[in-house]
Amino acid sequence: MKMAEVKVKKETNLSDPAEVENRIKELCQQFPHGITDQVIQNDLPHLEPQQRAMAINKLLSLGQLDLLRNSSGLLYRLKDTQSASKMKGSDNQEKLVYQIIEDAGNKGIWSRDIRFKSNLPLTEINKILKNLESKKLIKAVKSVAASKKKVYMLYNLQPDRSVTGGAWYSDQDFESEFVEVLNQQCFKFLQSKAEAARDSKQSPMVQRNSSFATSHEVWKYICELGISKVDLSMDDIETILNTLIYDGKVEMTVIAAKEGTVGSVDGQMKLYRGVNPIIQPTGLVKTPCGLCPVFDDCHEGGEISPSNCIYMTEWLDF
Amino acid sequence: MTAQEVRLCGLLLREHFGEVVEKVGTHLLRSGAQNLRTIIHETGISLDLVKKSLCVLVQHGACVFSSGRKGPGSPTEYQASSDRILRILRYPRYIYTAKTLYGDTGEIIIEELLQRGHMTMSSNVKTVADRLTQNMEEGRSMDYSEVSSAFSNLVETHFLQRCPPLAGLGTTDASTPATPATPANPTTPATLATSATPASTTVPTPESFPDCYKVPHMTLIGRGKRQLSSEDGEEQRNAKKAKLDSDTHGDEGIYWQVNFERFHLHFRDQAIISAVANKLDQTSSEIVRTMLRMSEVTTSPTATCTKPLSANEIFRSLPSSYNIPRPILDQYLTLLVDDPMEFVGKAGESGGGMYVVNLHRALANLARATLESVVQERFGSRSARIFRLLLRKRHLEQKQVEDFAMIPAKEAKDMLYTLLSQNLVQLQEIPKTPDYAPSRTFYLYTVNQLPTARMLLQNCYKTVANLIERRLYETKESKRLLEKSQRIEAILASLQASGAEPEQLTEVEEMITAPEKQQLEALRLHINKLDSAENQVDETIFLLESYVNSTATPAS
Repeated sequence: MKMAEVKVKKETNLSDPAEVENRIKELCQQFPHGITDQVIQNDLPHLEPQQRAMAINKLLSLGQLDLLRNSSGLLYRLKDTQSASKMKGSDNQEKLVYQIIEDAGNKGIWSRDIRFKSNLPLTEINKILKNLESKKLIKAVKSVAASKKKVYMLYNLQPDRSVTGGAWYSDQDFESEFVEVLNQQCFKFLQSKAEAARDSKQSPMVQRNSSFATSHEVWKYICELGISKVDLSMDDIETILNTLIYDGKVEMTVIAAKEGTVGSVDGQMKLYRGVNPIIQPTGLVKTPCGLCPVFDDCHEGGEISPSNCIYMTEWLDF
Repeated sequence: MTAQEVRLCGLLLREHFGEVVEKVGTHLLRSGAQNLRTIIHETGISLDLVKKSLCVLVQHGACVFSSGRKGPGSPTEYQASSDRILRILRYPRYIYTAKTLYGDTGEIIIEELLQRGHMTMSSNVKTVADRLTQNMEEGRSMDYSEVSSAFSNLVETHFLQRCPPLAGLGTTDASTPATPATPANPTTPATLATSATPASTTVPTPESFPDCYKVPHMTLIGRGKRQLSSEDGEEQRNAKKAKLDSDTHGDEGIYWQVNFERFHLHFRDQAIISAVANKLDQTSSEIVRTMLRMSEVTTSPTATCTKPLSANEIFRSLPSSYNIPRPILDQYLTLLVDDPMEFVGKAGESGGGMYVVNLHRALANLARATLESVVQERFGSRSARIFRLLLRKRHLEQKQVEDFAMIPAKEAKDMLYTLLSQNLVQLQEIPKTPDYAPSRTFYLYTVNQLPTARMLLQNCYKTVANLIERRLYETKESKRLLEKSQRIEAILASLQASGAEPEQLTEVEEMITAPEKQQLEALRLHINKLDSAENQVDETIFLLESYVNSTATPAS
């Protein structure tokens, strides 16, 4: 009886490949991290390797199983039911392209790179991409790096900063006015701080130290001003402060801070302060020649010469 | 020597010594050392004029002569020095500095010396006293002793120095004192040209003589003479002058010249002090001033930094009027050392801390600020941002420049290419493969401070030359008008002297019409503007020259 039962079971198993597939799926559900070939073999000891392979291949081709590789060998894992359902009615090529795009994550992938990875003709890929886009499975994002380059990523992903350019871009246009306004506001803040320190009439050391502001303080000031529609991070503000350094208006020092102090990163704090330039505009640029666009073409007796120079005439009559 | 320098030198020579000297001077500058015969042959100027021109140049130190390169007995060769000629541009600044440091007397001493190249102390003192008396009220006059003490002061502070004695030219020594302080003295070059005595080819510096700053004993008693305006007075004065000149005062043969180097050190110190005042505050600059003054005598002119000074010494030397307590001084010194410009450095801990002024670094910083200022004014503050960014980070790719400077790619590209085309920024290619394929090459932008400073220096020379040309042109355009106004002024003066009626005076005055007056006024404004612009550009020239020179001297 028992023998018969087993036999029956075995027979049904063997006769119906769907049963085998169901059993494998059950196993996968039991072990969400994936199962090896050995697990299936242990569970269905009587299954011929050939049949086992057939069943697995079928599941793989249906997109119900994922094939993964780890250190101990191949792993089978049940595929996300959600994505599987999304992909209903898609053919293999579509699934392949979707997979490639999914792998690219929130950095996105260029259609040319999809072609290299999938080995599909470009026209085919374009068709598939259009298809997927209309199903709202993927989206195209314009990259700031190259305005004509579109990258594709899954629909629900937030594009990476390297693609959108972060806070400084809206619709891949660089917001240079926004940057300039922030640049001026930061400088105004640091300058007023330096002035307050100068007017305090304290000892020089105290004066200098109180003219410094941490990047956190600047960040807070900018946030409270409410000039920015988007949320700026402290890194963003530091980028702005760096432009002020390159403008020669601000100096930066790094000091060690106690762990947990507001605005400290890795036990360091960046301090900024407004400074004055060491010289007035130099003498050369106070003359028209110092700013002349045709300086190199200017020769006495030539078409352009100091005697008939219109810039000089304007400057003299000013 | 560049074409720009030669052009500027030529213009300066023409303005101060006339066209013949200009021709000889520029010829010498262009062709290097030459003997008298070649100069005459190549310029086509008569022997007499060439001799006179050379004499003028030698008198002002703008030309040196040495025995020929072809061995003993070969003709003496003359060589012009552009450096010395370019100093002419700075005369107003030397005179102004002497005025601020030593008052009117110092101003006129320096002015006379600059105008005449070199002269003996006695003749200088006499001329200065006469000139000062001239400007005083009736009945007062300037004592010679006052002027000579001012002169000694200038020598003591090394603003004046003795001309180096001419080695082995005994004959010239004997002949020149007979006619001192006459620039166009034709006897000197004649003697020089015929003198076959071999002089050493390397020109000795004045400092190499021990007596360089020694004031000789001079017997000169009296007061400045007032020049009389009447005609016969003039003759009388000339006769008197000739008589006076023949007197001996015990300092014959000792000639004095302006020590430009010393003035330049003073300018450099002033530039550093004002930079500190701008960057930090007034008190810090006073401390730096004190430090620089303390090390004036102990530091060699080419040193990279001053000799170390202890905080105690600095404290003692601070003028009491500043009223800086000791702990505050220490704080200020720490702040100066901490400043990223590093004007002041710390050399040790002894004596309350040893401090130095980093002279060369300060010059480099000032030169860098000058370059930045040029870029800022000419190409806008965003380009200046890129320029500073490159100075700070050395080598950057275009993409990095855009990101750091936060400038949109298109604009940044435009600015970088403009700067590149003006040679303010350089491009370095680093290929990954030997074929220099653009797709496999790094393009790194960079700024080289020293070559850029050199280029701007040339631009400055050209600018000054342009300004002078324009000034000459403006004067030439209104020549008729200027002559007319001069004539009328002369008439007015003579009428006033003869006590004419006021109606007569106004009648003469009205000979210049209102539009003409306006034109003259405009011309005066233009000339003033051009003049002051020349001086301003010279300040830039001075900073850049000092920086370029400071990089040339090996660290001592």
